[in-house]
Amino acid sequence: MTKVYVVGVATHEPSSAIRGSRLEEMVYRTARAALDDAGVSRRQIDNVTIAACDEFDGRPISSMLLSGPAGAYLVDEIKVTDDGAMGLCLGLSRIQSGDFDLGLVASWSKTSKTDVESIMNNRAEPFFTRPLGMNMSIANGLFAQAVAEEFGVTEDEATTRVVDAYERASANSRGMNHSVPTTDEVRSSPFEATPLREGHNAPITDGAVCLVLASEQWLHRHPGHEALARVAGVGWATDSYRLDRERLRSMSSARAAWDRALADAGVSGSDLGAVEIDTPTSYHEAAYARTFDIDGAALSPAGSTFAQHPLFCSGLVNAAEAILQAAGRAGPVQKAATRWTAAHSCHGFAQQGNVAMVFEGSHNG
Amino acid sequence: MAETVGVISTYQTDYRSQHPDVTFVEQAQQAAVGALHAGNMRPDDVDAVVFSLAPTNFMGVADADRWAIDYIFGAGKPMFRVHTGGATGGSAVHAAYSLVRAGTFRIVMVIGAERIAETPDAQAVLNTIFDLFYERDMPLSTNTSVALQASAYMQRHGITQEDLAQAVVRQRWNALRHPQAHLKGEITVGDVMASPMISYPLKLYDICPRSSGSAAMIVGNVEALDSFQSRPAFLNGIGSVTGTYWVGDRLSPTADIDYAEMSLTDFSGAACFRRADIKDPVKEIQVVELYDPYSLVGYVQLERLGFCPRGKAARLDSEGFWDLDGGQVAVNPSGGTLCSNPIAITGLARCIDAANQVMGTAGGIQVHGVRNALATAVGGISQFHNVTIFGEDHVPDREEV
Amino acid sequence: MSRATNPTDVIRSEVTLRYDYSVGEVAGTFLDGLRSKKILASKCSMSGLAYLPPRAYCERTFEKCDSWVEAGLEGTIEASTIVVRGFEGKRQPPVPIAFVRLDGVDSAIANYIDDVDCSDLEAAMQAIAPGRRVRVEFVGEPEGRITDFSFVLVD
Repeated sequence: MTKVYVVGVATHEPSSAIRGSRLEEMVYRTARAALDDAGVSRRQIDNVTIAACDEFDGRPISSMLLSGPAGAYLVDEIKVTDDGAMGLCLGLSRIQSGDFDLGLVASWSKTSKTDVESIMNNRAEPFFTRPLGMNMSIANGLFAQAVAEEFGVTEDEATTRVVDAYERASANSRGMNHSVPTTDEVRSSPFEATPLREGHNAPITDGAVCLVLASEQWLHRHPGHEALARVAGVGWATDSYRLDRERLRSMSSARAAWDRALADAGVSGSDLGAVEIDTPTSYHEAAYARTFDIDGAALSPAGSTFAQHPLFCSGLVNAAEAILQAAGRAGPVQKAATRWTAAHSCHGFAQQGNVAMVFEGSHNG
Repeated sequence: MAETVGVISTYQTDYRSQHPDVTFVEQAQQAAVGALHAGNMRPDDVDAVVFSLAPTNFMGVADADRWAIDYIFGAGKPMFRVHTGGATGGSAVHAAYSLVRAGTFRIVMVIGAERIAETPDAQAVLNTIFDLFYERDMPLSTNTSVALQASAYMQRHGITQEDLAQAVVRQRWNALRHPQAHLKGEITVGDVMASPMISYPLKLYDICPRSSGSAAMIVGNVEALDSFQSRPAFLNGIGSVTGTYWVGDRLSPTADIDYAEMSLTDFSGAACFRRADIKDPVKEIQVVELYDPYSLVGYVQLERLGFCPRGKAARLDSEGFWDLDGGQVAVNPSGGTLCSNPIAITGLARCIDAANQVMGTAGGIQVHGVRNALATAVGGISQFHNVTIFGEDHVPDREEV
Repeated sequence: MSRATNPTDVIRSEVTLRYDYSVGEVAGTFLDGLRSKKILASKCSMSGLAYLPPRAYCERTFEKCDSWVEAGLEGTIEASTIVVRGFEGKRQPPVPIAFVRLDGVDSAIANYIDDVDCSDLEAAMQAIAPGRRVRVEFVGEPEGRITDFSFVLVD
């Protein structure tokens, strides 16, 4: 199977609300920056994979207006709708298939323009859950309860993880530089849906992220282009839509995605020097740290969602951070021994779907 | 070495305005069950799912693929959803093709469902695909934007409304032998001309219906074909291109792409023919299943794909060139999109109808001696175009120089 | 005693989704231009193309559009149709709309064509056929919306 490399990466300056630019303009800037980072022109790209959500973007078939800014003019382009990291998964297969050589993967999230929970409620089926007001908070509350019981996660742990995550994030120059709350502030924040408190949530921000992927053949034909990292393995899986106790605590799609990515890369969890995990809440972090057996120094050194949380594409931002780690370009949050790094993404009610990605770089500390 | 990809099985429900006795997810389940049965397969045989679903405003549940996963026996499996507007079904097939070709999975199910009648506001929904600042105040919709295309094309080539009406007559007649088709019947050019004017020059009969239904196609590698399908349709070529959103950019002397003639098709067609090693479409391709929600759109694609010279497709129709029985190339034996348009899966239906012809499972609309069949799908305002070729023999990969 | 629920019964759900779209870098200039009864096109110096509707970057060169040009107030119809079956909130059908390439601009912009007698559709379509010339007319009090202007046929 063809080896695939990341030759360019760019993330948009994050903000709690990007005003002054239309979404199209944000996407153009980010795509352009990724191409510039790769040192290639748009004309060299032979495929674009977009990951975006119509409802967040504010128009049905949002790729009509957004494919152009994402560099897809007169290019073979496909859009997936699950989350930003899924764009990388499809973009990877397209190059591995041998039919394409140089691809752009683009994703974005500008939820400040709308009411996220209304959209989440619209994702609930209309018979059993929508009439009850099912939305992201409620689903996360149910998830928090399930993992608290399954893994013995206490309020203390949920609180500590938040504060620690903000601490790590505060060193990331690419993030929001949120102020670090005190444990008291977190603990006394109001409940959203018990046991989940407002303070346990990563604040949602606007952002965008693009990667440029190249086949090994392309790199061979274009000496002078350096790879930041090789995409060593990916995995993805989606659980049942139901929110019963079994499904909520099983973490089965997370485990399936993770196992596949590591198996394809031929590594184990202990080989990974940095893993950016998608953590919409600190209960997510508690669950994933155990499921993936990742904690301590390797756990989200860039701060993951507590650095920035562009809801739809957080997972692909995690990938960008993991790639930078592997390339030795992560700056103030750079870890040593990052030959192997990983990133994770989740989507759907109570992490119904999960994506895992493993990267191999040249940076060994 | 890239894997060979073939179609193992397909299934389509009947396309109608509504299926009021099932929910969206039950509808999707019918397609999953149908395709599995058709391939003599069990759910566990499917490694991954690609869900074909365009705007969900019609059926009213956002990200409805996630709701459907249990019903399609997909819980726990890798799944993603593809959405490129009307081109979705074709893009979904292309995505599944890449997954198998790359060796990522052995067997992938492409599946989707559409329920346009869940909302009465379909045209209002379609108006919102236009740019809010510059275009939504206009009564722009899919109908009016194709009407604009038609007026330019007809003037350029001296084509009349009666000429275009032939496509409707031929395809509704074909559809009489296709149980799943939504619209079918014996009509005349006069009937088309007498139907109410919608947006000049397009009349009601020049325009596709709003259909509901579901469909699935299961594709696999050689190992899978050995297990499940001794007469597959090989997926020999894909080609896809995205053009500009802006209609006005395509209507000027500096245009890269000609709006009236959908010259975007040149790009996707050329890429597909190159990969499938097709040099003479008329000689090598016996069946074409085109995405034609309007009578004009099928003709324009035939011309751009090289089946006939520009401006000539309608004339050739009057000579029977595109007939199901006795034509040179059978165009839309299923009735095409003019007869059935379940938007989320229309592109998938085109691929299924093409693949069935190669596999010999097209039933009453089976054309004899099909070696290759071609399918197209179009999305946005002729912004996304994809082409897929199925063949009875696998085309070996050519070495790139 | 109520009857059993049928499979074909329905549950109604109405959804309202609110959006605040940023005007962004380019639309503001255009909409302000309308208030001054000007139509401003964005231009890319590398490709030399001037675009209406205006946009922040040139698709072909993938460079930012770096200047503005004032479009001529006359232009050529590139494509037209008469909308016979319309929908709520827009002008009453039958109503002609067209994509018009204004002088000095490389792409066409859509708007209504006013003062066309639509009682005979064939004749009306002839009158607004591609190639015909139109001029721009502004409303008395522009508000910064695309409907601040429309086209009328040049005799």
